[in-house]
Parts: sequence; structure tokens; C-alpha cells
Amino acid sequence: MRRRWPTVIARTSVERVLAERGGLLVALGFYIVVVAVLAGLWRVAAAANGGSIAGYTAVALTWYIATSEASTVALNIRLIDDIGNDIGSGAVAVELLRPAPVLGVRVAAELGHALPRLAACGVAGAAVATISGGAPPRPAALLLAAPSLVLAVACNIVAQHAFAASAFWLRNAGSAWFLYQKLVFVLGGMLIPLEALPDWLGSVAAVLPFRSMSYAPARLASGHIEPLLLLEQVGWLAVLLLAASVAFSAGERRLQVVGG
Amino acid sequence: MAIEVRGLTKVFETGRRRARRRVEAVRDISFTVDPGERIAYIGPNGAGKSTSIKILTGILHPSRGEATVLGVVPWLDRRRLAMRIGTLFGQRSQLWFELTPRQSYRMLAAIYGLDRQHERARVSELADLLEAHDLFDVPVRSLSLGQRMRCELAACMLHEPEVLFLDEPTIGLDLLAKQRFRELLVRLNTERRTTIFLTSHDVADIEHVARRAIVINHGSVIHDAEVATMRGALLATKIVEVRLGEPIEAMVMDGVHVLEQSPTILKLVVDTGTTSIRVVLDALLDGASVVDISVVDPPLEQVIAEIYGLPRR
Repeated sequence: MRRRWPTVIARTSVERVLAERGGLLVALGFYIVVVAVLAGLWRVAAAANGGSIAGYTAVALTWYIATSEASTVALNIRLIDDIGNDIGSGAVAVELLRPAPVLGVRVAAELGHALPRLAACGVAGAAVATISGGAPPRPAALLLAAPSLVLAVACNIVAQHAFAASAFWLRNAGSAWFLYQKLVFVLGGMLIPLEALPDWLGSVAAVLPFRSMSYAPARLASGHIEPLLLLEQVGWLAVLLLAASVAFSAGERRLQVVGG
Repeated sequence: MAIEVRGLTKVFETGRRRARRRVEAVRDISFTVDPGERIAYIGPNGAGKSTSIKILTGILHPSRGEATVLGVVPWLDRRRLAMRIGTLFGQRSQLWFELTPRQSYRMLAAIYGLDRQHERARVSELADLLEAHDLFDVPVRSLSLGQRMRCELAACMLHEPEVLFLDEPTIGLDLLAKQRFRELLVRLNTERRTTIFLTSHDVADIEHVARRAIVINHGSVIHDAEVATMRGALLATKIVEVRLGEPIEAMVMDGVHVLEQSPTILKLVVDTGTTSIRVVLDALLDGASVVDISVVDPPLEQVIAEIYGLPRR
């Protein structure tokens, strides 16, 4: 039976993460420390604010942070920079010699890389949040948060490829990486729930894709049953896939004309 | 015809606006390659070898000219051509270092549309051919460079390509590993009739692998001949480097030209068609206080420059 290459690549990438258990454990340790510290800070802030911030209780904030951090720690943090370096060094040009799209192969590999890390962070995050904050505000919401986390990671990976494609023209993606990180941190709701942002900034965040990469699963895990967030993520994933495909196709054409 | 190239030219534009400059990396190149041939495509750094290979594999568009590989125009139908050619770049790996080659092969096989059964049979066949049964289940990072290159060769042969493009495949390998790699290429060619298109700076790669050499310089083909007939001209020159205990007088022998001389170092270029290396070595050992001596092939760039004088065809 003929196999589908994206599935095989993702599976091989999972094996790669499992073969590098040391890296997985370091990421997990980092994640647990960050969640414990940030959740602790948010609980203190909530207590000082009468028990909640922007409608989130201390327990909800703990689950929010555990989920938003998981969606980021699961990824290769320097992905944009790495892709940019591969474009600049000519490694991507060699990938053009395969009968499969460069973008598809790379996205499948990154998804395979992220999923085991996401699973490990999900389990550890649930344990840390339960021990330090308490039981999830609405356990049923976690059923929506789980697929939302996968969609968040997928959106993030695809968006990073779209940003990294700038290296086809600029030769490196260092500045794109810097900008992207800040956008996800703030407008993606990774550090702060979007409801806690000033109104004007919250309105800007609402129309951008970054909230699908962190805020959406975190909002669900913090006890808000809002299935529309999943639909929004699917929509943004489609848009980002289109944007990344267009950017990579244009970049590959440029590479074919001006060389690598 | 495996490869057909007519008037191929590639011009790069570098710099910005007023400082814009046009560089002809490949200039009006023409040649043909029959199926099953073993070609060395050689020339000094910047001669246009890599640009030509990039055009022939479809990752670069030419500015002018025509080319087909296995009847396919590479830059117009890159993915279809990719199913029929294999590429090995000495400084780029297709294998994931944390995994075994077999795990990477599974991924590559899926990309090339091989089913699981076909993949297993093919990997086993390549393990026999490349004598690599003991390597395919070892993490790539634990392999020596020579072992890894054998596994890389298997990776690019997985889909049974009809033409194999190799860019500096022996770079960094030790002598034994180079020798073994060359033998494998010849074996692939003779047993599978795979067309070999090889670029290398190593004269031994040309001598042991290729039947025919195409020499390019400054983007143009300056020589295209059977290696057997070129050998007389291309490889008839050796460099003898001698470390001396005491200074000697100038050495005068037919076919021997002094390249460099100091009180302790003597470097000679010997035309072995005129005077054999043995005669030169005997004269040196009899007439000088020799501390160390070595005989090496001259750098390819130097041979090309000296012998062909860079005339364009």
C-alpha cells in the first residue's frame, strides 16, 4: 500500500524526539519551572485584585498559563531563524531536488517534532496546575482544549514558515524571528490573557492570527467552553497555510532564478 | 540520451543599482552524455560546475540555452525529474543524525512513493551492494564520515535513479574511505547502468571513477575527452617535494622544472612522459641529503591552467 509522506515524516520526527530524550527532559523541566513561577505570580496578582483578573480566577489563571506555555515550549523556539539559515546556506535549494514540496516536508517534520513535546507538557502542565492551583475549573473544557492545543501548534509552525520565507529575499530571518516572538508573546496571549490587555490592543489582537497560537487553547483550558475558538483556529490555519505556500512558492521561484 | 546540453548560459546579477554587475557563471556550454556513462565534470573553484549541476537538476533556471535530462527539461518539470535522478552533495546530508539510516530511508522512500514492501526490498538490496548491512541500524551520528557517505549513497539510490549527480562526494574522506567509495560508484554503474555525473577536485576520483572528463573554466567547456586519452596530458605531471638536510646546486634534468627552491626545500614539477619519477628520485637520493620526500599529483586547477592554457572552445 502506498503511504502518505506527511504521516511518515511526522512519525519519523516523533522517533527523532524520542531518540533525543535528554532534549525532551530539559524542555519539560524548563516548562515546569516557568509554569510554576508564572502561575504563582498570577495567583498573587489575582489575590491582590480581589480574587480575579479580567474575569479569570486564580485557578483559571493557573490553567491558562500551563496551557499557553505548553503551546510554545512544544515548538522549536528558533524555528524561524533555523529556516532562514537553511535558506541562506542553500540547504533549502537541495530540498528542491525531492519530489515533494519543501514547505510540506518541513511542516510535517516540525509537527512530528512538536507533538510528543506537547503531550509531555500537557500531562506535566495538568499535574503542576492541579497541585499548585487546583482542579480544572470546568473539566469538560479540557476536551476542547486538547485539539485546540494541536491546532495552536500547527498554526504557529505554519506561520513561522511564512515569516521565515522572508529569508529568500533578505538572506536571513533573524529580524523576522525577533518580531514574531514579540507578537506571539503579547498579541498571542502567551504571557497575559488578552482580556487583560488595554482595549485598543485587545481589538488589534482579535483580528490577528496570533491568538490562535496560544490564547485559544489557554482560554478553553481555563474553563471557558467556547467551541467557536476551534473554528477560528481552523480558519486561521487555512489562511496561514495559503500565505506560507504563496511565500515559499515565490521564494523558490526567486531561488531558481537568482540562485542560492 | 541521458543528458543533452546546448548553448547553456547562466548570468547572475550582483550588487545594487549603480553597482550592479553581470557575472556569467556558465557560458554557452554544450555537451551530451549517453546512458550508462561515467562523467567527471571538473574545473577550478568558481568555474561553473555547481551552477551547471543546479541547472541540470532543476533548481536553477538558465538565462539562455537548452538542456534535457532523461528527456525532461529540468527547470520546467523539476519534481518529475526528481523521481528519476539521484543527487549527492558531499557537504549536505539527507540523513537525520539522531536516527538510524534505516529510519531516514523510510521517510525518503515515502517521499519517492515507494510502498513499505518495495522499500524493505530496496534497502536490503542496497545494503548488499554497498556492503552496509551493519551500518543501517546504527544512529548516523555514531558513524564515521566514510560510513555515513556509504549510507548517503544508499539514500540517493533508494528510488533507483537512472542518473546520479555527485558534487564533491569524497570531500573529507580518508584515503581508504575514498577508495571504497570510488569502487562503489563504479560498481553501481557497471551493475545497474546508472549514469554517473561527478564533480570533484580530487584527480584520483576522476582517474578511478570517470571514463570521460569534461573540463570547464570561466563558465566554458575547455576540454571534453576520454580520461584514458587525457591521462597522458592531465596526469603525466607529478610534483616532488623534498626536505633537504643541506642545500644543493640547481637540478638540471629533462622534463624536470624547479617550482620552488630554498636551502631546505626543493619543489619540482616532473613530466613523467619525459623522465620517470624513479629516475628523479634516484638522482635526488644519490646527490642530496634528503630528510623527507613526497610525490603528489599537482592541483587540478594548476594542471588545467598549465596544460590547456584555458582556451575556450
